[in-house]
Amino acid sequence: MKLYLGLLESSLPNETRIFGEVDEKLLDLKLAYAAYLAHAPGNHASAYEFAAFYFPQTIAEFLERGEPALKALDEVVSFARKIGIAELRGPAEEKVAYHIKEVRLLPPFQNPEKSFVIGFSDNARVEAMPKAEIPTGFYKLPQTFVPGGAPIVWPKFSEELDADACLALVIGKAGRRIPPEQAWDYIGGATILLDITARDVNRREGLTTNNLLGKNFPSSTSIGPAVLLKPTRKELENVDVKLSLDGSVKQEFALRDCVFTIEQIIARWSILGIQPGDFLAIGASMALQGDRLQNPAPLKIGSDVCCFSPAIGELSHQVVSSKGVRR
Amino acid sequence: MKLLTFVHQNQERIGALDDKGRIVDLHRAYESYLREVESNPAAYQMAAVVLGRDIMEFLKRSEKSLDAARKALAYVSQKTNDSNGGTIFKRSEVRLMAPVPRPGALVSAGKNFSDHVAEMSSKKGPAAPVAFLKLPGTVIGPEDDIPHPPEVKNLDYEVELAVIIGKPCLDVTEEEALEYVAGYAAFNDISARDVIRSENKTGIHLMGKSFPGFAPMGPYLVTADETPEPQNLKLRLSVNGETRQDSHLGYMIFKIRDMIAYWSQMGLNPGDVLTTGTPRGVAAGRKPDQTPWWLKPGDVVEAEVEKIGMLRNRVVAE
Repeated sequence: MKLYLGLLESSLPNETRIFGEVDEKLLDLKLAYAAYLAHAPGNHASAYEFAAFYFPQTIAEFLERGEPALKALDEVVSFARKIGIAELRGPAEEKVAYHIKEVRLLPPFQNPEKSFVIGFSDNARVEAMPKAEIPTGFYKLPQTFVPGGAPIVWPKFSEELDADACLALVIGKAGRRIPPEQAWDYIGGATILLDITARDVNRREGLTTNNLLGKNFPSSTSIGPAVLLKPTRKELENVDVKLSLDGSVKQEFALRDCVFTIEQIIARWSILGIQPGDFLAIGASMALQGDRLQNPAPLKIGSDVCCFSPAIGELSHQVVSSKGVRR
Repeated sequence: MKLLTFVHQNQERIGALDDKGRIVDLHRAYESYLREVESNPAAYQMAAVVLGRDIMEFLKRSEKSLDAARKALAYVSQKTNDSNGGTIFKRSEVRLMAPVPRPGALVSAGKNFSDHVAEMSSKKGPAAPVAFLKLPGTVIGPEDDIPHPPEVKNLDYEVELAVIIGKPCLDVTEEEALEYVAGYAAFNDISARDVIRSENKTGIHLMGKSFPGFAPMGPYLVTADETPEPQNLKLRLSVNGETRQDSHLGYMIFKIRDMIAYWSQMGLNPGDVLTTGTPRGVAAGRKPDQTPWWLKPGDVVEAEVEKIGMLRNRVVAE
């Protein structure tokens, strides 16, 4: 099941909704669930309130609702299929099913407490440098997030941008100091993350063991478009994330390419505590060119960069100059 | 003005300190002002819209909310008794949170005092400002306990000044930088040195600065108009009454205005916080033996910035 966070054309910015993809349509889950309750025998008097509880305004809050909300999701999906997606309306005949183009998709997580990329996590690097012993990470600030389709604005301070395809493991349950054998229970889903790096700045910052401006500037992080909810282990292992630059594939990454296991990553970062809607991304595949690690996806103004996976969707972006961009 | 966030009856509220040292609930005070002075029929709702729900929304409203806060404070603090009830509190009646309990970005400068650079045995100061991100969730109040995690052996302190951003800024110059500041607070950048050392092997440090409770901040946000010379303030930190750090913000390598200008390249927003870096005197810099100075459960750390305020936090075993 894929979940999206989005706005309808007339929505105010704070009126975000959760949509679920059913038979190639996006269902407004809150209204669909209200319809399900109103339809049930006994004609539920507080259908809207209950629906708003199970399907709140953000995917992070939905995950916080835990098992009861997941059960409500199952119920609403089977109800929608039974009625027929085209026929389905809300309790007061509201529109419930949308074409994906009718919804303004947002990054599925707007303000996570922890939005990390695990550093040095791909096997490709191990050839060139000593294997990292622990899954260290760096932080991508929520204020850098953009949805798929948004322009990537070249920052004035850099001469050298590149892109990395990452698979983000989404936390589904709060916990702290989670033992490896319980780690899987805390995975709520997966999404794609496109990590844009100002490599010249990043290299310079690396000398002082920090990692900030080179990774955090407006539009340096794209996430989405969907959250693949509660995949099985096998489904997650089969998620291939690819990155193409001007139409040709430059990076491919899957869980098997990571030098750390999910168990190691969750055990490590849950030391600080993890919350639903946090994510830990893996990827960042540099390639060895000659004797030097090189990012295979250097960007220039006008580049079309796309990060995609059949199981999750695609994030397409064009790189634009900061000149003329309204700030 | 000294703005603050406090908890009363389990509710997080925005407040300000009046000239008698009492805490004024700004929503209640502005509501009284609107109703009693301006005869506004929807005073409660209007106060909520003008001030915002929390300090982050308050800061986004910039001059509008600040003007309202000033009017509200002036109006109620001239009253001798709290006629409405629930508007004015004694300091002991509430719990102070950090003035900005969950900042947007928390950008902490490293290697920004030459005496600290020397004690940490780096060869020379950096060519450009150095900073790292602390997680916004690490922020705690001026009197909250600092949890000592069982994973950490070398727990350290760093007194700093927190600079709270008040307006969106991108690519601003050093000359205009201070215009973007909402105000200042005292800050203690708690650090797990052993964790940082292990992270540094692969070039990135994050966890060692970001355990829960590693960022005491407060006690107030002292507004920029009350702090015309933020660079000209003394810093001091003591552990169990023994002075460990005693310095002056004038010794910063990159000054506050340089830091704002540099980090504005990544885009800063109201409620983002920059911290100045710390002077010498941290436990990690003690020669020859660091051991006696690592923080341990029971220690009381006082971090103070002149004219801004003091944090007093006890270290407790987690």
